[in-house]
Amino acid sequence: MRLRRKLHRLIVNATPGAPARDYFALFQIQPELTLDEATLEQSYHALLAKFHPDLYAGQSQMEQRMAAQLCADINSAYQTLSHEVTRAEYLLSRAGVDLEAAERQGVGGEFLMKQIMLRERLEETPSDDATAREALHAEITTLYQSSRDGCAQSIAASDWSAAARCWQEMCFLSKLQEAARPEAR
Amino acid sequence: MALLQIAEPGVGPESNTQRKVAVGIDLGTTNSLIAHFDGASLQVLQDGSGSPSLPSVVYFGASDVRIGQAAMAQASAEPANTIASAKRMLGRAREEFEDDPYVTLAPGDTLAFATAAGAKTPVEVAAAILAALRERAEPQLDAPISGAVITVPAYFDDAQRQATRQAAELAGIKVLRLLNEPTAAAVAYGLDEQAEESSVLAVYDLGGGTFDVSLLRMRKGIFEVLATGGDSALGGDDFDRALADHILAELALANPSSTQRRKALQSARDAKEALTEQESVTLDVSDLAEALSEITIDRSLLDSLIAPFIERTLHACRETLADAEVAAVDRVVLVGGSTRTPSVRKAVAECFGLEPLCSLDPDQVVAMGAARQADILVGNRAGDEALLLDVIPLSLGLETYGGLVERIIDRNSTIPVARAQEFTTARDGQTGLIVHVVQGERERVEDCRSLAQFELKGIPPMVAGAARIEVTFRVDADGILEVTALEQETGARSDVVVKPAFGLSEGQITEMLKAGYEHAGEDMQARKLGEAQVEAEGLLAGLRAALAKDGDLLSDAELRDLEQNAAALEAVMAGNQPEAIRDATESLGRATETFAARRMDRSIQAALQGVAITDLESDQEQGDGR
Repeated sequence: MRLRRKLHRLIVNATPGAPARDYFALFQIQPELTLDEATLEQSYHALLAKFHPDLYAGQSQMEQRMAAQLCADINSAYQTLSHEVTRAEYLLSRAGVDLEAAERQGVGGEFLMKQIMLRERLEETPSDDATAREALHAEITTLYQSSRDGCAQSIAASDWSAAARCWQEMCFLSKLQEAARPEAR
Repeated sequence: MALLQIAEPGVGPESNTQRKVAVGIDLGTTNSLIAHFDGASLQVLQDGSGSPSLPSVVYFGASDVRIGQAAMAQASAEPANTIASAKRMLGRAREEFEDDPYVTLAPGDTLAFATAAGAKTPVEVAAAILAALRERAEPQLDAPISGAVITVPAYFDDAQRQATRQAAELAGIKVLRLLNEPTAAAVAYGLDEQAEESSVLAVYDLGGGTFDVSLLRMRKGIFEVLATGGDSALGGDDFDRALADHILAELALANPSSTQRRKALQSARDAKEALTEQESVTLDVSDLAEALSEITIDRSLLDSLIAPFIERTLHACRETLADAEVAAVDRVVLVGGSTRTPSVRKAVAECFGLEPLCSLDPDQVVAMGAARQADILVGNRAGDEALLLDVIPLSLGLETYGGLVERIIDRNSTIPVARAQEFTTARDGQTGLIVHVVQGERERVEDCRSLAQFELKGIPPMVAGAARIEVTFRVDADGILEVTALEQETGARSDVVVKPAFGLSEGQITEMLKAGYEHAGEDMQARKLGEAQVEAEGLLAGLRAALAKDGDLLSDAELRDLEQNAAALEAVMAGNQPEAIRDATESLGRATETFAARRMDRSIQAALQGVAITDLESDQEQGDGR
């Protein structure tokens, strides 16, 4: 018998059985949606420069394994925190928000209509009309940014149901934004 | 567990009194090389006649085994006993080669060649080549090899990587790391470039049997693979075959014998090489068939025959560029003998809009990069080397209900990496389930490569959807995968290191190793004892150093416990029981876990302190909204 229905992505420590390592604590930054991505990258590189398995290849097997596990955590943490949508998702699940329930509840008819119309407009815009695509892309970006700012504020205020709704909007809009990228083939 | 000797960036290890000898090995489809870096200069080691490359050909005769040129000399007399291009069959299934007219398979279920010396698997062929390289290097370096970096095509999947590791094990070589070939080439090219601010390098690597393309970004001390792509069954051999088929067709040979095929293939190779310099070449085919004595092939004919293969490589290049999301490439590097073909060079230049670089020998650059990395990994660090961040080439996932793939780790994720996802049961009362691990980008299971299947049992009967099963994927720095499934309520657990489905079993390897030691007159027990002692000494030395530096992190009781464990290990170390030493080493290792975790936290803080200062200076930026 096969596995059924995915539940949500879990946050785990790479060390089997150990409690999950908090990604924000690992990078020693505040658990907020707004963060300086350049500094995050610097921290990421500073941690790797100390814990990358290459630096332990000549040492005992246990040390190699431990370095690999910590480094896997560092990589997963960076991958999650370096993109706004996954960072928002992580902040929500970290606060104990049931993302499945939030997804079932949805984003409301009004936003859904807006999204469908944007998608229709995108399909009607020829991919070689660079000016029109750029304008549409800019419009979607503005909408995305407003959802993101809403999400950041709701998280800061611990208003989790509003944050979960904004997060879903971010998911929709970032996909749309990707599809509308002028250079996308 | 330990992590007692936390690396200090910029500082070499203190105990580094003697330089360890490590090598880089390029195990190629057509040719293999071994290189060494001694801290000052890089050299590709040559054989007695001054040739750096060893043809990846092994002859298994009734009474002897020959490797390289000596094996090639047997190719026409005993084609079935002479195995070439075995690399493209490493870690693959028998079904994929049953219709291949160029190989003679032994009967049975496994993929093995029928030779006068019995059935030989691709892993054994690769092991013979690796052993020959080791035997070439050790007298020249006047030392046993402590470890090797072996390169693999970036696009090698998990099974192919495992098979490569097995071959090294059989050849008695300790693998420090499997390194992706294009990454190794980039290391060789990137060494002089560390001063540059930030640049993006594309590596186009077309070998005999595999094609890889990688995009890397080099920036102050970090060498980061952004994306990698390719095809693990595409290369210059395809050029040769296309041309050989053309020759056979010209000679009106509808059902060529295997000897005729081999001769045609050799003529094709000669023609291809000649056409890198000349516009046309005339081949003497008088010994192939009676119909014709000569065939003339010009460059445009070759170009049209190989154009479909080149187009496939360019397609992979375009996809990789899109994956990496880079606006522009600063340099393009050519690797692999097949990049000597003029139409390949022209196509690459057009695709990237850049004249490609080939200042280092495209046949040697991979081994050179591997040797450099091997020297670092074995512990001969100077402290200013760039850190290499590599990625996995293909997404990893699980089969879910309805034959669909649920992706767990995306391709181009930086390794090592660990990711988990929660699943549930599909039916009421389901007490077991099959975890089917697959690799690939497609949505349906049958379009992906199956890596492993295992069963999780002992789930308490519940209604469908109530069980919570956590499945964790871990990929190590060699790109090798381990999967764990855990039922959350009962703690029922099942895990598997994904073994190549088409490789050798542990038992087979142990048997072969034993036979090898008997052959070499070595004592396996003595070797095991030596290894266990080295491991134990390393741990004890690490513990002493750690206690001296961070002993304040422990309570008196914790310290006493550690000391007792250390004393127990010291007591058995002088003995001759490798198992006892291993057990005591493991138990001391476990006892140091808490200490090690605290040391890691302290060292994370230290690592981030430098960043915190620059944080104040850098402007608060908003993300660009991706």
